[in-house]
Parts: sequence; structure tokens; C-alpha cells
Amino acid sequence: MRRSLMLGALFVLAFPGLALAADAPATGGWLAPFTVIAAAIGMAIAAGLCGLGQGRAVAAAVEAMARQPGAAARIQLAMVIGLALIESLAIYTLVIALILLFGKGINFA
Amino acid sequence: MEAIEHPPIFHLPGMPDHVTYTWLVMIILAGVAFMATRRLELVPRGAQNALEIVLEQFQQTIEDVMGAAGRPYLPLIATLGLFIFTANLMSLVPGLAGPTTNLNTTAACALIVFFTYHAVGIRKQGVVNYIKHFMGPVWWLAWLIMPIEFISHLARPLSLTLRLFGNMVGGHILLAVIFFLMGLQGLLGWALSGSVVGALVGGLGAAVTIAFTVIFLYPLKLLVSFLQAFIFVMLTMLYISGAIEEADHGHGAEHHDAGHH
Repeated sequence: MRRSLMLGALFVLAFPGLALAADAPATGGWLAPFTVIAAAIGMAIAAGLCGLGQGRAVAAAVEAMARQPGAAARIQLAMVIGLALIESLAIYTLVIALILLFGKGINFA
Repeated sequence: MEAIEHPPIFHLPGMPDHVTYTWLVMIILAGVAFMATRRLELVPRGAQNALEIVLEQFQQTIEDVMGAAGRPYLPLIATLGLFIFTANLMSLVPGLAGPTTNLNTTAACALIVFFTYHAVGIRKQGVVNYIKHFMGPVWWLAWLIMPIEFISHLARPLSLTLRLFGNMVGGHILLAVIFFLMGLQGLLGWALSGSVVGALVGGLGAAVTIAFTVIFLYPLKLLVSFLQAFIFVMLTMLYISGAIEEADHGHGAEHHDAGHH
């Protein structure tokens, strides 16, 4: 199982290089196709872990609100701010992914 | 991003789009405010009533978060909130560009907040006391606390900028991709191509995609627009009240988010 996963990952990572060897790259050099993969993998990891973190936060907040309905408004406020702070970590990754995908200032020679 | 996204319909030559549409937001907000306050009545009706409700919500939130000390900052906070919310909504209208989908607009808002709360803190406490604020509770830990506080304060405008920008651009790209899939080069084009299978699959797919967009994606984007404006304003309030409050490090906004950056 693990070895097939690793082989698959190796294949995915090696494929752009092979494809590039077939037809000569017009722009960007050999590193350019890897940026797309890096953006996708990075965003996937960030989204998954961000989901785990936000799930824990929301679970705790909902439990607290169920125990203390009187304090629901303040708990909700704290929850929303906390969610924004957790989410901003995933947003950083999104911004990096966008830079990798659309950034024109980077020269992958 | 030009590959998947149509440029906005109205374009001033020689002027970046986000600046043009920032002016549009300013015109809308100033126009609404002017119309609502032209004939002030004791018993408000119509636009005046609606704006008073909005303003009372801002007042209430400031009262809850900052207490009475936050009352002078109502103009700044309400302006930021209304501007960001209107700009976020503008990016939902097809054919218009949203100012907040550009990094420059969000960075400008975040830098205003950054300089404002430092200026407020220095004016309220004096330079020496405000710098002491960064040194932590005990003097022999100051060499350790000082760089950490410094970096965390520098990270604040960065995170404000990138949070708003990333949320808006992420949703924008999502909508652009959906519209691209749905358009004349996608499902609709397939449906209109003339073949029976294309008409069946493409027509059905286009209908499902349109329903998904209208029922789910647009309300979600509306919610995100409101939530991001709210969070920006809320963090502004926390930063200002953190700068105002005396140099006790036991509670408040300082410890609340120092660890998250």
C-alpha cells in the first residue's frame, strides 16, 4: 500500500519532467510545471488541516453554546474571530498558490 | 487570471480597474448617505431609517467589544466596514470588478488600521509607556518578549490584507471557473452544438450548474462578503482597544491572537 502510494507520487512528480523532455519547453524552464503541482498539493494539505482545526473549534463552540445558551452570543463572536484566524493560515497558502499559478514576476530559469 | 476571467465592462483608459471601482463604491456610499440625510426627520422613514439601523448595529458592536472608550472610533470603523462590504458585494455583480479582489485595496485598508492603532496607543499612553507595553510583564524577559511582539504586530497588517484578499479572490476564481464551465465553450456550447447527446447531457449539466450557482454559491459568497467585512472591522476594534488599554498583560486582545500568527 505504502509502496504503491510512494510510486504513484514519484510518477506524478516525474511526469512533467518526462513530458517536457518530449517536447521542448517554450517558456519557464523545467521548474515551471512543478509549480502547478506544488500549488495543488499545498492547497490540498492546507485545506485539509484547516478543516480539521476549524472542526475542532466549531465543535467546542457548539458544545459550549448548548451548555450555556445565555452566553451564546459572546461564544459565537469568539468562534467567528477564531475561525477567521485559523482560516487565514489556509488563505496564506492560497495566496502562495495564486502566486505560483499566476505570478509573472518569478523567473524559473 | 485574465485567462479565465472576463475584464470588467467599464474601463477608464489609463486607470487601474480597482481604482475605478473604488471610486464607484465611494460614489454609491456618498450618494446613499446624501440621499438619506437630505431631509432629516425626527421619526425616520425609508433610507434614513435603514441607515440608522446600520449605524446602531455598529455602535452596539463597538460598545460590546471596546466599551465606552471605543466611541470616538465609530467613524473610522463604520467607514471601513461599509466600504469593505460594498466593495465585496460589487465583486459579485457580473461585469464589475471588485476593489477588494486587488491586493492594493486591502493593503491600503490594513495599513490605515495599522498606523491608526499605533497612533492611538501613543497618543493615549505616551511614547515611553506604549513601548513598555511591548516588553511584557517582567523586565528580565523583555529581550525575549520584544522581538516576538514586534513580529506579531508586523504580522497583523499582513494577515488583515491577505485574509480579505484571499477570501475574495478565492471565491472570485471559483465563480469564474464555474461560469467558464457553464459558458459557450462548455456545457451550454455542448447543448447548442446540435447533437442529441450533447443537447441532453449539456442541457442537463448546464441546468444543474446554474441551479447550484444560484441556490448555493451566490448565497455563500454573500455570507462570505459580510463575514469578511465583519471580521476586518472586529479585528480593527480589538487592535485599537488593545492599544488603548493600560499596560496590563493579563487579558484582552494581546494574548488573544498573539499565538495565532
